[in-house]
Amino acid sequence: MIRGRDIVKHFGPTTAVDGVTFDVMKGETYGLLGPNGAGKTTLMRLLSALSPLTAGELVVAGLNVTRQGRAVRERLGVVTQQDGLDTDLTVRQNLEIYGYFSGLSRRESSQRAVEVLAFFGLSDRANDDIDHLSGGMKRRLAIARAFLMAPDVIILDEPTTGLDPQGRNLVWEKLAALKASGVTILMSTHYMEEAAALCDRIAIMHLGRILDEGTPEELIERHASTEVAQLRMVTEARAEVRAALAAAGYAWREAGATIHVPSRNGQRPQLPPMDGVRVTYRPGNLEDVFLAVAGRGLGEE
Amino acid sequence: MTTQDTIIVAGVRWRSVQALWLRHAVALRRIWKVATTWYLIEPAIGLAAVGFGIGRLVEEVEGGMRYAVFVTPGIIIASAMIHAIFECSWGVFYRITGGFYETVLTAPVTVTELALGDVAWATTRAVLTTVSVGAVAVVFGWITSPWAVGMLLAAILVGMEIGAIGLIFAALSSNTHTLSLVFTVVATPLYFFSGSFFPIAVLPDILEPLAWVLPLTPGVHIAQGFARGQLALTHLWSALYMMGLTAVILPIAIRLLKRRLVT
Repeated sequence: MIRGRDIVKHFGPTTAVDGVTFDVMKGETYGLLGPNGAGKTTLMRLLSALSPLTAGELVVAGLNVTRQGRAVRERLGVVTQQDGLDTDLTVRQNLEIYGYFSGLSRRESSQRAVEVLAFFGLSDRANDDIDHLSGGMKRRLAIARAFLMAPDVIILDEPTTGLDPQGRNLVWEKLAALKASGVTILMSTHYMEEAAALCDRIAIMHLGRILDEGTPEELIERHASTEVAQLRMVTEARAEVRAALAAAGYAWREAGATIHVPSRNGQRPQLPPMDGVRVTYRPGNLEDVFLAVAGRGLGEE
Repeated sequence: MTTQDTIIVAGVRWRSVQALWLRHAVALRRIWKVATTWYLIEPAIGLAAVGFGIGRLVEEVEGGMRYAVFVTPGIIIASAMIHAIFECSWGVFYRITGGFYETVLTAPVTVTELALGDVAWATTRAVLTTVSVGAVAVVFGWITSPWAVGMLLAAILVGMEIGAIGLIFAALSSNTHTLSLVFTVVATPLYFFSGSFFPIAVLPDILEPLAWVLPLTPGVHIAQGFARGQLALTHLWSALYMMGLTAVILPIAIRLLKRRLVT
């Protein structure tokens, strides 16, 4: 459904996308996972023909993005990071006007708006001002708008960034329903949990490149250890723990107040007992993958 | 989804222009009570103040005309200008920075079509205020000729031309400080020096030709011609001048908007 070959995008002297090749199959949910500045948003803008490619080829639903931008956009639903809702209009009017822009008659557009609002659980807010919606509702409305024209592909740029846990869960629920409807989804995220829960395949992006690609399970198997020890401790104990890990020859990474120690040679990390340190073991996850892969990427620079 | 037949002329999809116009109309209808103050009350206050106030002090203009009668078409066209420039500069600026245009551009819509839709709406606003303030002037007895309906033509020319100028400011401004220049650099000088409040002939000799090339002056001239029911060839030249300016400025504005929105 989407075919990208050697895509390059420069902004003046900056290279935002640096030779990306990928394919997304029909009905698949494909995730771009990476930190801010990885090139995810730029790649999605290229896909929606909102930004011209510097080099490479990008084909969506059999249409060339460079030459058939308008036709490509007829087949796409896009949710940008900033929602892009029209605050001068009501919830329902946002959808109706978008449908009219997209080529529906005013009556068809109204009917479709009613259906889509119901699907996204926003029917009782139909006549509300946009400013009266919660962040999660605004995001759902933005997704509803992208879904209005029953597109072949939906593009979501960080669909749950900035939402509270409840809002996030509701958005995930709706995305899972969209996925079940068979639409092809391309989404970017920097939440590993989101990528693991929703994506069939994931591309790890860093500094404008795709470093690796695969199903979440494949990536975890390839790059993350099966078990990771999580060490929680009081701040004062940290220096001591670092020294002990170094002495025992373990690699580790620190995230906030927690130290993560991956297994070595398939063996669960054996750590000397330390005062004030609580150790739990968990399976390796995409977060470990990203650090392993992006860390390697950084090392190559 | 099945969509209606789309009409595309010279690369411009008519539906996109219509849809943006409809969006503006729907938004206006939601706030019509507040909007009445912009379209009617504020310009009517200006008309009354100048007509009844200054009109008392000024004996007569251009050979026997009451000052209130002289100033009416100018004030109407000045109001049309303010509406057009506000819509296409501040209105468009906020629709760009708020992300709304980025969203609309994910539909099968182009920047050119958005620009045309906004200019069409700016023109609609110019016409609306011309009708409402014109009606007030009729009540005051300052418009008497049926030819005055032709002022709508002046309003249309002003809406398109000034709207295109406004788009340039929206496209170039990164913040509201530079955007505010649209008032200090464009709107205010045009408001006072386009022959609305005094005949251009009374200006010092150096300023007179300058005032004539200002983009609003021909609009005021045309409106005055219709309001008095006295038309001459100069009114035709004025219309052609405005259309020419629009034909030059609008493509530049579209180019600048593309540079801002499609990167």
